[in-house]
Amino acid sequence: MEENEVSEALKNKFGKKILEIEIPKKGEKVAEDMLIPEIMEIKVSKRRVFVTVPIEIYKEVIRYLVEELGFNHVQTMTGLDTGKVIEIMPHLGRGITITVRTRIGKDRPVLSTITDLVPGASLHEREINDLLGVVFEGHPNLTRIIVPEGWPKGVYPLRKDYIPEQPKPIREVS
Amino acid sequence: MQEEELQKMEKKSAYELFFDIPVGPQHPALKEPAFFKFRVEGERVVGVDVDVSYNHRGIERALEDRNYIQNIYLIERICGICNVAHTLCYAQAVEQLHGKEIPPRANYIRLMIEELARIHSHTLWLGVAAHEIGFDTLFMYVWRDREVVMDLIEMLTGNRVTTAINTIGGVRRDVSDEAKDKVNKGMNILEERLKYYRKVALNDPTVNARCSGVGILKPRDAIKLCAVGPTLRASGVKNDVRRDDPYTLHDEVPFNVITFDTMDVFARVLVRIDETLESVNMIRYCLDHMPNGDVRIKLPLSPPVGEAVSRVEAPRGELIHYARSNGTKNPERYKVRTPTFGNIPSVSEMLTSKSDYEVNIADIPIVLASIDPCFSCTARMEFRDVSKGKTWIWSLKELKAHCKK
Repeated sequence: MEENEVSEALKNKFGKKILEIEIPKKGEKVAEDMLIPEIMEIKVSKRRVFVTVPIEIYKEVIRYLVEELGFNHVQTMTGLDTGKVIEIMPHLGRGITITVRTRIGKDRPVLSTITDLVPGASLHEREINDLLGVVFEGHPNLTRIIVPEGWPKGVYPLRKDYIPEQPKPIREVS
Repeated sequence: MQEEELQKMEKKSAYELFFDIPVGPQHPALKEPAFFKFRVEGERVVGVDVDVSYNHRGIERALEDRNYIQNIYLIERICGICNVAHTLCYAQAVEQLHGKEIPPRANYIRLMIEELARIHSHTLWLGVAAHEIGFDTLFMYVWRDREVVMDLIEMLTGNRVTTAINTIGGVRRDVSDEAKDKVNKGMNILEERLKYYRKVALNDPTVNARCSGVGILKPRDAIKLCAVGPTLRASGVKNDVRRDDPYTLHDEVPFNVITFDTMDVFARVLVRIDETLESVNMIRYCLDHMPNGDVRIKLPLSPPVGEAVSRVEAPRGELIHYARSNGTKNPERYKVRTPTFGNIPSVSEMLTSKSDYEVNIADIPIVLASIDPCFSCTARMEFRDVSKGKTWIWSLKELKAHCKK
C-alpha cells in the first residue's frame, strides 16, 4: 500500500473533520492553535504519513488502520510534552510508517489503550505512563517499567516542568 | 479428617505448587543485566515476568539539553555493539529535518560500515550462543574469526568498537584504495569461515540437541507481539527494514531477506549466519561500485522546525528514532526505540510452555540469548515470607535500614 493510498483511505473514512491536507514543506512552522478538537490534518512525505486526530476518534482510527488496512505493527509510541498539551504518537506499520497523533490535556491525561488491538503496544504504553504520567484506560497491567524503584510518585521526567538534578562535584577542588 | 484440613495439606505438596525462580539481574544471557521471574511447575516454565527497568540512563532527556553535534556522541553510547546503527539512524533523522541528501560516496561508505558492524554483531552473538549451549570450542573459533572484521573496522574508522564514523551530512573518513583491497581479502576469509560454521550448525549433534524445537515463536504470535529483526524472520515472516523502507542504498544493492521456517532457536542461528553471508556480498558490491566524490556536506547546526521518523535495520532488528525540532540548536524531543525493547513480549511468549511444547529451566539461557538481547537495567531485591505467602520489594535504602536494626 502506498502512502497516498493510505491517506486517501483515511480521508474517505474519517473525512468529515478534515480541514487541511498538505504535503509538508521544509521549514514549515507548527501552528499554535492546533488544539481545536475538530482539526484533523494529514501530512504525507516519502513512506511517512502523519495524521492528527481528535481524542474522540483516536481509537477508531487505530482500529481502522490495524484491522482493515493491515498496519498491525506498532513500532513505538512517542510521548511529547509541548508545554500546554501532551502529544501521544503511535507509529504503525512495517513498510511505510503512519504516525497517528493525538493531543490530550495535561490536567486530565487519560487515553484509551490500544493494547487490545495490538498486544505488542503494552510496553510502550507503560513507558509513556512512567515518563509522562498518561493513564491508559483499559490497560491490563499498567505498572512501572522504566523509572527506578523509589522514584517519587507524580514526578514525570519527560514533562517540561521537570528540572533534572544537576550533578555536583564529589569534592571541592581548592 | 475435615475437608478443609485435607485441602490445606494438599496445597502444601511441592508438586502442586508453582515456584517463582528469579533469574538475573546478573547476566541471565549476554553479559548485561536483566531481571526475569520465572514461574515454574517442576521443570516446566509456565509464566514469565520481565523487568527491564532500572539503570534507566535518561538519555532521551539528556538529548534535549545538548546540541545536534554533541548528540551524535551521546547517541553512539546508547549501545556499544549497535553504535553504527544508532548514529546512522540519528544522522538520517537530522538530515530529514534539514531536507538534504548526502553525497553518493558517503552512502556507500555508510552502508559498508553498517554491514561490517552487522557481521561483527552476528558473529559475536553466534559465539555467545555457542557458549550458552556448552559448545565452547565453537565459541572460541567464532570469536577468533571475529577479529578479522574488528581489525577491518579499526582500519576504516580508527576505532574497534565505537566507530564514530557517521556524522550529520555524511561520514568522517574516506576509504582509500589499499583499504579496499584489505577489506576484500578479509571478506574472502570470512566467507570461507562462515560457510564452515553453517555446516557445523547444520550437522553438529550438540547444536541440534540444544536448539531444535526450543523457544518456539509462531508467526501469528510474532506479528501480534510486534517482534522485529532476526527473531521475526526466524519465524518465517519476510520482513526487513532494508527491503520495506530502504535507506542509504539498500534499494540499489542487491540482497536476499533470509527467513527460516522452524521458528525455534535453531532457525535464529541459521538466519543470523545466512544474513552474515549476505552482508559479505553487499560489502563486495559496495567495494566494486563505489563512486568518487565528496564524503560529507556541511549542514547548519540548527535544522528548521519539523519532525522526522528514521528507521534502520540494526543487527538486532528494526531501530526507530523520532526527532522533533523547534528551530533551535537543541531538539525539542528525541525518541529512541531499540530492537530489544520490541522483542521483550516475544521472548516472554517463547519462554512459556504451551500445550504442544515445553520449556525447561535449562533452556532459559539459550532462549533468552536467542533474541540477542541488549538491556539496560539493574537490580532489585524481592523478599518472600513463605509462612504468610506475602511478597514485597525493598529499595536499597530500606534494605540498609533493615540491616542496621
